[in-house]
Amino acid sequence: MAEHVAKSPALDVPPEPPAKRIKLSPQPKKQDADDSGPASPSATPLVADLAEQLDAQERNKYVKGKKLGSGQYADVFSAYLVTDPTQLVAIKKIKVGAEVKEMGISYDSLREIRFLQELDHPNIIKLYSVFSTKNQNLNLVLEQLPQGDLLKLIQDTQNISYTPADVKAWMLMLMRAVHFCHANFILHRDIKPNNLLIAANGEIKLADFGLARSFADPYQPMTYNTITIWYRPPELFFQAQFYGGAVDVWSCGAVFAELISRDVLFRAWPESEMNMVKLICEKVGTPTEENWPGVSKLKGYVTPTEIQPVRPKDYWLANFRTIGEIGVDLLMKMLTLDPKVRLSAEGVLKHEYWTSAPRPSKLEALPRKGGGIEVMGEDLKRRGGEVPGKENERGDKVARKIDFGAAK
Amino acid sequence: MTTRLSEDDIYRTSTQYRLWSYSPAQLAAQRKKTHELAIARARQNASKDGEQNGASDLEYLTEEEELQLVQRYCGNIRSVADHLKWPMNVKTTAVQYLKRFYLSNSCMTYPPKEIYKTALFLASKTEAIHITVPKFAASISADADAILAPEYKVMQALRFTLDVRQPFRGLKGALMELMNMAEGLMGTLSNTEQKTGKEVQAAMLALKLPPPGSKTPWKAPSGTLTPTHLNDRIRAAYDAARHLLDAPASLTDAYFLYTPSQILLAALHLSDEPLTSFYLDTKLPTTSPHRSKILSTIQSGAEMLASYNPKGMSKEERDALEKKLDRCRDPTTKDLIKSHAAMKRNGVEEGKLDEEKSKRRKLEREKSSKEMDDLFGPSLAGGKANGNG
Repeated sequence: MAEHVAKSPALDVPPEPPAKRIKLSPQPKKQDADDSGPASPSATPLVADLAEQLDAQERNKYVKGKKLGSGQYADVFSAYLVTDPTQLVAIKKIKVGAEVKEMGISYDSLREIRFLQELDHPNIIKLYSVFSTKNQNLNLVLEQLPQGDLLKLIQDTQNISYTPADVKAWMLMLMRAVHFCHANFILHRDIKPNNLLIAANGEIKLADFGLARSFADPYQPMTYNTITIWYRPPELFFQAQFYGGAVDVWSCGAVFAELISRDVLFRAWPESEMNMVKLICEKVGTPTEENWPGVSKLKGYVTPTEIQPVRPKDYWLANFRTIGEIGVDLLMKMLTLDPKVRLSAEGVLKHEYWTSAPRPSKLEALPRKGGGIEVMGEDLKRRGGEVPGKENERGDKVARKIDFGAAK
Repeated sequence: MTTRLSEDDIYRTSTQYRLWSYSPAQLAAQRKKTHELAIARARQNASKDGEQNGASDLEYLTEEEELQLVQRYCGNIRSVADHLKWPMNVKTTAVQYLKRFYLSNSCMTYPPKEIYKTALFLASKTEAIHITVPKFAASISADADAILAPEYKVMQALRFTLDVRQPFRGLKGALMELMNMAEGLMGTLSNTEQKTGKEVQAAMLALKLPPPGSKTPWKAPSGTLTPTHLNDRIRAAYDAARHLLDAPASLTDAYFLYTPSQILLAALHLSDEPLTSFYLDTKLPTTSPHRSKILSTIQSGAEMLASYNPKGMSKEERDALEKKLDRCRDPTTKDLIKSHAAMKRNGVEEGKLDEEKSKRRKLEREKSSKEMDDLFGPSLAGGKANGNG
């Protein structure tokens, strides 16, 4: 890490105190010192324009510190406010890849910036600011979430135990975030445990809007190649191009089940779409015209050779008894095959599960220590659709194979 | 402790409201500030070059001329978008990007000729049209580098906010509601005078006709009105309003001064005033303390849309203005492509490895997408470059 800092030209945030870093700052007196050197003779105008001034103001608010993680898509740094060093933030510096010649600024970053700028909710990662640096890197200033992600908690069966009340608290925060997105006409399209980060106070924060999009107008087709494969709903495997919030609700249902059983609900292996459909048929039921009117008209629908009738409540109870009968009822309604019947995010929030015993755990009672600040670095550096871990270990090959950058 | 957010509350959290909404005075002050800064910069350049006799202020673009130029290139964006058959939302977003850009930049620093294609390309990405730079450049016979070079500059001027809230969907909502009312399917909201669906329908049939000068082409038939006629009236009002939401709403300052719902109601008001007043009355009680303010806002919005003049400049005026701009343009920003390349060089050196990595990744991706095609058949629409996202 240290050598990286030395190698890059001070990472665009020189170590001097802010007063000396006048580069583009608005004090008119300093203009003559504003010589950007031979590399960019015409890059810095004499009087910085207003936009540049504002950009510089944002940049100068933060002091960049230790690198928390580094990936193909972004580097993540810890940073703090110049005016108050106790105020920590994370700066996600997006890397410029070879595809820049084809696309310019990538879709992933534009989507993430566009949507996070609009969303202000306690359970959605807060984007405080965006600024650019002289090498034309985009820097996203995000809230620092030092307690790792939900996946770390789920997987650490050795050290972490949690209760149905904890699951309820986490799911409630997740569903509030998702409902808020939908109320703002935004589909997240990549909900999974490792995109649910945990704040210092235990709050869940939905992150990674690299695959998000705003609701399409009626008749405007969308891609079905989205959402990490294990969390993808059946209609997308059947290549539906017109869909809504129900796709996110399915992913939330899969997260719900994973939280309870501490195992991925639809862990297709090998990770092919065909195996996913098989698993969904086996665990939920085979989609047919009876349980999902219209399904056979979807382009990717394959007429099944054998039919697994929709699993009754007893089947679900046998596997998810710990959340009680009411909880299982909600789970089934989130994992309903027909997206028109599946609950909406608002419908989920109105379910009696939330008001029946046990009460959701208080924030301070939720288990922590999911991994520390470095985990946030790991979480944020990824690109949408990727799953952490070694290749092929907890991978979702198909999702990674799909080129989201150029997705239609 | 829970609070329920109203639609208004949600709109107020949008960047369009927080960063891009002004009072007329604020908007004028912002443009003045930008213009003055550009002239100060130009003077400074002149004295630095030792040309003490430098350009006199007469030779700089006036604020008014800057606005005319921006307007002209907003028109260009619209014709390019039409040429590419891109939907309305892309066109609208791109025009707002350009207008927002010139709130903090002067045409003398960055001539709109060099910015407008970039604004349109950026809008195509945020509005989920999928086209590569080389393809886009080729389809409008432009240079790909020239499109990419100002991209960060544009992002910066947009203050990294990309969402443009538009009135089209809201207008469609109004259309659907009005049609349901005409069918007698909708009573009024509980906070206004209580009416059943049938009463609403009857009141609608008794509405005054659109006064002369209304934008709607609908004319009352002879004889008694039927719900079918009502339906025609609503359709016609909608079409006229939608037309007003295109050029007039997008090319005036309406987006800076009004919310999307105010804009759409202003457009409806211009097309069929009695119908629009009736529609408002079903939602807005006469006792509401905000009523007069809301109505006068819609009225002034309507005046703004009505004031839109589609004529623009003549070719001679345009050429004269461009020539004037050539003389007074900021020499330090002349070669955006070169300075962009210089910046990228710095950046790439720092991230050279990453570039190799991403090249490798691209190859892998290509390979795997081929595998995917083998497995699942090719993707839809045969690589058509638009539509989905």
